[in-house]
Amino acid sequence: MSSGVKPGRYFVQGDEAIAEGAIAAGCRFFAGYPITPSSETSETMARRLPEVGGVCLQMEDELASIHCIGAASVAGMKALTVSSGPGISLKLEGLGWGIKNEIPYVVVDVQRAGPSNGVATRVAQGDLYTVRYGSAGGNAALIALSPKSTQEAFDLTIECFNLAEIFRCPVFLLTDETVGHTRELLVIPEESELKLVKRLKPTVPPEKFSMYPLETPEVINYPFPNIGEGYGICVSPYTHTSKGYASTAQDVQEKMAKRLVYKITAHVDMLTRVETQMMADAEYAVVAYGGDARPALAAVEMARAEGLKVGFFRPIIVWPFPDGEVLKMAEKVKKILVCELNIDGQLSREVERASHGKAEVYHFGSGGVEPHLPSQIFNELRRLFK
Amino acid sequence: MSTVGDTLNLIHPLVAKYLRRERMPHMACPGCGIGQVVHATLLAVDELGLTPKDTVWVQGVGCSSRITYSTWVGDNIDAHHGRMFAVATGLKMSRPDMNFICFTGDGDCGAIGGNHFIHACRRNLDVTAILFNNGIYGMTGGQVAPTSPLGAVTTTTPYGNIEDPFDMCKMAVAAGASYVARWRSTDFRQIANSVKKGIQTKGLAFIEVLLQCPTNFGRYVLKTSNPQEVVKWIKQQTVSLKDAEKLSPEEKQGKILYGEFLHQTDRPGIVERYQQFLKQHRKE
Repeated sequence: MSSGVKPGRYFVQGDEAIAEGAIAAGCRFFAGYPITPSSETSETMARRLPEVGGVCLQMEDELASIHCIGAASVAGMKALTVSSGPGISLKLEGLGWGIKNEIPYVVVDVQRAGPSNGVATRVAQGDLYTVRYGSAGGNAALIALSPKSTQEAFDLTIECFNLAEIFRCPVFLLTDETVGHTRELLVIPEESELKLVKRLKPTVPPEKFSMYPLETPEVINYPFPNIGEGYGICVSPYTHTSKGYASTAQDVQEKMAKRLVYKITAHVDMLTRVETQMMADAEYAVVAYGGDARPALAAVEMARAEGLKVGFFRPIIVWPFPDGEVLKMAEKVKKILVCELNIDGQLSREVERASHGKAEVYHFGSGGVEPHLPSQIFNELRRLFK
Repeated sequence: MSTVGDTLNLIHPLVAKYLRRERMPHMACPGCGIGQVVHATLLAVDELGLTPKDTVWVQGVGCSSRITYSTWVGDNIDAHHGRMFAVATGLKMSRPDMNFICFTGDGDCGAIGGNHFIHACRRNLDVTAILFNNGIYGMTGGQVAPTSPLGAVTTTTPYGNIEDPFDMCKMAVAAGASYVARWRSTDFRQIANSVKKGIQTKGLAFIEVLLQCPTNFGRYVLKTSNPQEVVKWIKQQTVSLKDAEKLSPEEKQGKILYGEFLHQTDRPGIVERYQQFLKQHRKE
């Protein structure tokens, strides 16, 4: 199969970079439903996937698209779907099937102002908890990566696909309208420079293979056999034994739940990635993620120019939340200002939880539509930290 | 633990060949019609020489699916409630070389999954879908279904059902499926032939089977737990397409037609369309 990688320098939107990243990662199946501000990814996939022999479908609804890509992955494909707010609410129904059956695929959430339809074309960051806790029934951990630029949208999309295969689970790219619609430089490297994870196939015969490794809950890089290869795979919505048979037994439920959580929580070191700047002598810190990290960093630079000892902290992998790194920061600084585009305080709640009271945590939120301006954050910094 | 085959030292040859021994006995209630439809499906599988290497069973949620899930010796892909066609779309478009025999129910396909059903027919997805229509929500204990008859007393229509039932074969024809047929669970050979035709036909084959649910439909709607009574009732409600030709409009009133409604042998399915499309647009 053709690599589909088109090395070069491009002036494109984040949404388009996601599509190119997916194709470079080996994604050959896309199913979506039109929704602003994620449609540019669907449109790019519709143009690009046929060129590389892939399947691109516009489904009848959001539910169909996530179930369709989950099934495509069961049938051996690297698969992607994208959406935003109201569409993500619907997709969460299908996400449970992917989590429970340990199916690798990638879901992109281009966050927009909510709740409900909100403002379709404008930015917000209201889905941090939605992607992590939205799938009913709990008993799951989740991986989500959040880019701040077009380049990161490309790079992290590839990483999402890799992590999906390594951890055998759905992975979110949690972006937002600012990143999705910002047109800036994207450098696509040569194919040889890309690190791609291929799907592992079982090395043992079917009678010795367990579809779900319930007895070794922390194991990663676990194979996913293809259909039609004699492994008789069983995928279902029900609590399953290691073979995939439905069970109502308490011990089976316990083992399955532990498997779904521990396979991720046991590897938080692999899944901790943050960006820090100017933290060496910082007495105060500004925390932000995704598109809002851009004005936040600019505000920190403005504060530094005035001599305020402020550092910048950005979770890149937002789930699992970088508890350890946040605690280290909290032990170092007096006050932390968390910037995010919601009023309810999602990122700030996580930072406060992970800080264990070592620093004072302040929420600087906005309901969305307009991104924060560097000057707004800077003014808040001056007010809080002088 | 012993299995049915071990204790009786008897097992149906089709079960022995195609179903997982460790999954027997299956979950169906005594007298349920699902076993008859699975039997006919296995006969079709056998007569076509299908194997676990080339055939996958796909399910949704409900009696149709919970009873058939993980019984096929090959791969079993069971979707969320209503999402069977969405899952089948992902499977078939990824592996057009394989056959997908899909089991769904009247709630799964006609209510919660209605939109996916319509659009799978419109796309003419190349799968064989078998609808187990028992006229009620069986797995959840006898609630009214979109296929329950007018007036039916169920656990959620204690004063009788005021809605008309959904003719899902008409919907399949209108939405664009290649093959559409309806049988009763007692039409064993016809079901097997339909499944064979469905697998061999390009595009979507939709085969509805009206089947007896003595446990819930019998209990609440007909006030009987006798499967034969429910079968008899289904026979009274139905008339074959051939016999219907001889009836006046008044005589046909309220009767459910059965037989082969549509068999388009020349209509391409989405797989053929997509493969032609790729030939034109593939660059690398």
